[in-house]
Amino acid sequence: MSFLLSCPHCGPRPVDEFGYRGEVLTRPADDATLRELCDYVYFRDNVAGVQREWWSHRSGCELWFVAERDTRTNEVLRTEVPDTQRGSRQ
Amino acid sequence: MISPAFLSPDRCEPSVRLVSPLERALTGIDPGRVRDRSHVGKLEVRGDVASLEPAPGDRFHRIGPRHGLYVHEGPTAELRDSLTARGYAVIDQTGAYAAFEVHGADVLRRLTDLDLEALPAAGLVARVRGIVTRADGGAFVVYVAQEHGHYACEAVLDALEGLGR
Amino acid sequence: MSRLPIQPGELLDRDTVVRFSFQGRSIEAFAGDTFGSALYASGRTLLSRSFKYHRPRGILCCRGHCANCMMTVDGTPNVRVCETPVRDGAVVEGQNVIGSLDRDLFSVVDKVGGPFTPVGFYYRTMIRPRRLWPLYERFLRNAAGLGKVPERDPHNRYDVEHREARVLVVGGGRAGREAAAEHAVAGPGVVLVDELPELGGLELPGVEVLAPARAIGVWEGGLVPVEHGNLLLRYRAQHLVVATGTIDQPLVFPGNDLVGVMLPGAVERLVERYAVKPGERAVVIAADDAADRARAALDQAGIEIVSTVRLTDGRTPAVAANGRKGQVRSVTVDGRTVDCDLVVMSGGRQPAYSLLAMAGAKVEYDAARGVLVPAAIPDGISATGSVTGAVGEQAVPAASYTAARSGKCFVCVCEDVTTKDVKRAVAEGFDSIELAKRYTTVTMGPCQGRYCHVQSIRLYAQETGADEAAVGATTARPPWTPVSMGLLAGRHLEPMKRSSLHHRHEESGASLIWAGAWKRPYAYGDVEQEVRAVHEDLGVIDVSTLGKLLVQGPDAAEFLERLYPNRFGDMKPGRIRYGVLTTDAGRIMDDGTVARLAEDSYYVTTTSTGADAVNGWFEWWNAIWGYDVEIANVTGALAAVNVAGPRAREALSALTDAPVSNDAISYLDAKELAVAGVTCLVLRIGFVGELGYELHCPSPAAEHLWDAIVSQGAVPFGLEPQRVLRLEKAHVIVGQDTDSESNLISAGMPWIAKLDKDDWVGKRATQLVQAAGVRECLVGFEMENGKLPAEGGQVVENGRPAGRVTSARRSAVLGKNIGLAWVRSEAAEEGTRIQIRVDGRPEPATVRHGAFYDPEGTRLRS
Repeated sequence: MSFLLSCPHCGPRPVDEFGYRGEVLTRPADDATLRELCDYVYFRDNVAGVQREWWSHRSGCELWFVAERDTRTNEVLRTEVPDTQRGSRQ
Repeated sequence: MISPAFLSPDRCEPSVRLVSPLERALTGIDPGRVRDRSHVGKLEVRGDVASLEPAPGDRFHRIGPRHGLYVHEGPTAELRDSLTARGYAVIDQTGAYAAFEVHGADVLRRLTDLDLEALPAAGLVARVRGIVTRADGGAFVVYVAQEHGHYACEAVLDALEGLGR
Repeated sequence: MSRLPIQPGELLDRDTVVRFSFQGRSIEAFAGDTFGSALYASGRTLLSRSFKYHRPRGILCCRGHCANCMMTVDGTPNVRVCETPVRDGAVVEGQNVIGSLDRDLFSVVDKVGGPFTPVGFYYRTMIRPRRLWPLYERFLRNAAGLGKVPERDPHNRYDVEHREARVLVVGGGRAGREAAAEHAVAGPGVVLVDELPELGGLELPGVEVLAPARAIGVWEGGLVPVEHGNLLLRYRAQHLVVATGTIDQPLVFPGNDLVGVMLPGAVERLVERYAVKPGERAVVIAADDAADRARAALDQAGIEIVSTVRLTDGRTPAVAANGRKGQVRSVTVDGRTVDCDLVVMSGGRQPAYSLLAMAGAKVEYDAARGVLVPAAIPDGISATGSVTGAVGEQAVPAASYTAARSGKCFVCVCEDVTTKDVKRAVAEGFDSIELAKRYTTVTMGPCQGRYCHVQSIRLYAQETGADEAAVGATTARPPWTPVSMGLLAGRHLEPMKRSSLHHRHEESGASLIWAGAWKRPYAYGDVEQEVRAVHEDLGVIDVSTLGKLLVQGPDAAEFLERLYPNRFGDMKPGRIRYGVLTTDAGRIMDDGTVARLAEDSYYVTTTSTGADAVNGWFEWWNAIWGYDVEIANVTGALAAVNVAGPRAREALSALTDAPVSNDAISYLDAKELAVAGVTCLVLRIGFVGELGYELHCPSPAAEHLWDAIVSQGAVPFGLEPQRVLRLEKAHVIVGQDTDSESNLISAGMPWIAKLDKDDWVGKRATQLVQAAGVRECLVGFEMENGKLPAEGGQVVENGRPAGRVTSARRSAVLGKNIGLAWVRSEAAEEGTRIQIRVDGRPEPATVRHGAFYDPEGTRLRS
């Protein structure tokens, strides 16, 4: 793996500078059923295609951001710092 | 109530000898090869830093969209207060970073793939996180976590040796 | 073999004589020679023994591609001497032999081993009887591989350099040079690399020329590492131009590996570049016009061409080369034999497309030309010149595979794979070229398929009855060229974290061990003495490695309340609570203390190994939640020491003017204090079970503080004594006593989980776990006899595994062997008798809850 990821602040940098936190998921409410919770904790879509995922520029500016990456080619189509509402319930 | 001012080494009494994390690594090393810059005050400043202009003699290295490293020679108490008053969150990271000055892009190229034409920049330097900045006279000043400082100096000295310097 | 008079294009500096030794003999060479050319000029043509059969081998390609000239030079194995410049005083040795290159005892494999060492023999012979395996293994280890890694210290210095290029051109032939010149017009940043030394001095305006330099592959992100001497240049190129040209293809016929059988390019290079006469009488076997170029070289060298066999007229004659002592002596064509000492074989030219394929291009078989050509070249990459396959004449599928009965026909000289091996693989059912490749190892040798890929596909097609296009090409993967491990490793860079007190520990003679990325003191001397000092007097330990985070802002309390199962919102400033982090799966992730510094400010410590992960965890959640908090990682800004023991207060009081009584600083209080003139955040906590203060101070002042504490008589103690002390208190170490399955309920910390709080990370999972019950529990145990189980040892019930020991130590103060273990929840009650396997025998132990030492906690509260 040596692909480049474009950090929203630092620009394209080698992927080994980044931390990966997987697919962007929606966290279930605190009364979730066991199945809903397991879905969130264990199950991933694992698409062969474009996926929204969390990355952090761990060894650089330390920013957390969301990247849209094609899992087949490792092409990164877009990166963004998502807008959050204070105390958002995601 | 405890203020985070306990982070600042300059709050210690004058009798306290402050030790650089590079002191042993650079013992007997010609400062022309690698110069220890760890003693300078380093403040992590957060907020709307795009418009932050450092005072004369100071430097501000923007590292992220809303934070950067403000470098100031000498005690930082007043500076901390004034930056806080201007609405910034200020964390004294003086002790957190080892800093050294080194000359020559060739040495840096053997340590990092950061674009030396677009400094300051943060990224992997000798396999650890570092911040590479330009100093006066074409030198580079590299900041690494103090716990990596000794190791990073060894890596730099070794790279210099490989270049015959 | 002899040196020719001065040749027009030679690379030699005949005024500079260089001497090196080969097998004890001094060989004279000129500057500009390679070791290989000098050996050839001296009459030495047998350079190596082949990989499997130990057959004599000499120069085949003369451009550093194949294994035929690999020798050991100054202790470095597998040096391709045909392209390695001579060095004065170098010592060149043969390798892969028992005895000498000329009399290699292993060559018996070639004579008698053939029938016994067919393709894949290592998968089915030497398996039974099993008890003989050690013997087999010793034999195989000896026989396997090429060359010996020098056991003394590495004598070569390797380094990595990061470089950027606007345009990187690989291949310095005409097409490559033209492309480079063209791109140079548009601006700087053009680099051209070529594997041959000739281009070393080339001046191309605006182009940086590197030669000899080899691109070893293409990785994602336009990464092209280039081998340049002992330097690995990691190029990131915006645009890559591949101009790698074509590769002369050998022909497959019996004896095609004899010394003296060469590719046209080898003859050309020996004659024209190194002024070496590679023979006296030559036979040319040609499927294309490359042989005509070689004929010119032969003429130039005054070598008689005794016969020319053309394969271009649609007929495939039965060709065989015959040799003596590994040297070619004659060639038989359709039954007619001619004497010769040089055979030039030319099986057409194959585009050298590997780099393009690695970059994502497709590879197609061009049936008309009989070659594989690159197609669908991705963006950011271009191909130019003959590598595209668009130039060159029709290559004729050649060779006389069928005449193989009279001797070995090599498809792959690097790996010693014969036509028979490929046929056998097909017969055994390896019905895909990728599988056959792995089984026979054809294309997997040093040449990386340059001289065997096409041949093997053709043979495979012939054997399976499929056409070549259907057989397909095997996947090209880096490295494309043999590359030394040292070059890939680069310099020895092993990041080591040193605390601000590291040098004090070294000076005290502590034995340092790796603890994650840190080097930390295991102990300074005697572990038991250090433990005793803490219990009876005063000890001090460096805990600077703890992760330290400042969480500040109006939302700090709410943020932590949502992250932790614990409650922190109701804490008074100046108070401390133990905190455990869980994931949404309810798993224990990390633990530490949380001190409230002010209404809107908390100081959080984490485990030493968890510091970065917890910092990232906090930042990530807040990227989602968007609270008004600033999370600052101050791990390195502060050093920390834990001063513990009955005399801790006395020592602290001697170093500060501030009151330190039990009322002034109570258990779980946090205070700012000047200790020995050093500003400290003092946390009164009790990880080691005695009255203790954790002093967090600015890193640069750490040595001053440490010295002051030691001057009060504190005995420095290391990680091992600390492990004993904390085990006496049954304090859990996250990651040692817990694993990725442990949750708050099973680890015996249900009191941590405030299920009446609003949602927190892990709350729902913890609720569900609590409702469902747990199958195992973490409990303390004490051994009933003097046995000490190993960490990781088994808890057994009726001889069956029923749990595991995570920590176990001898406690001198308790006079017992104690530990922590996971047991079935039915066996988790206080006082339950369990059995733990020690040295293979079940030994009795009793389950204990709570601390073993000072269970009421009076000592640390006193």
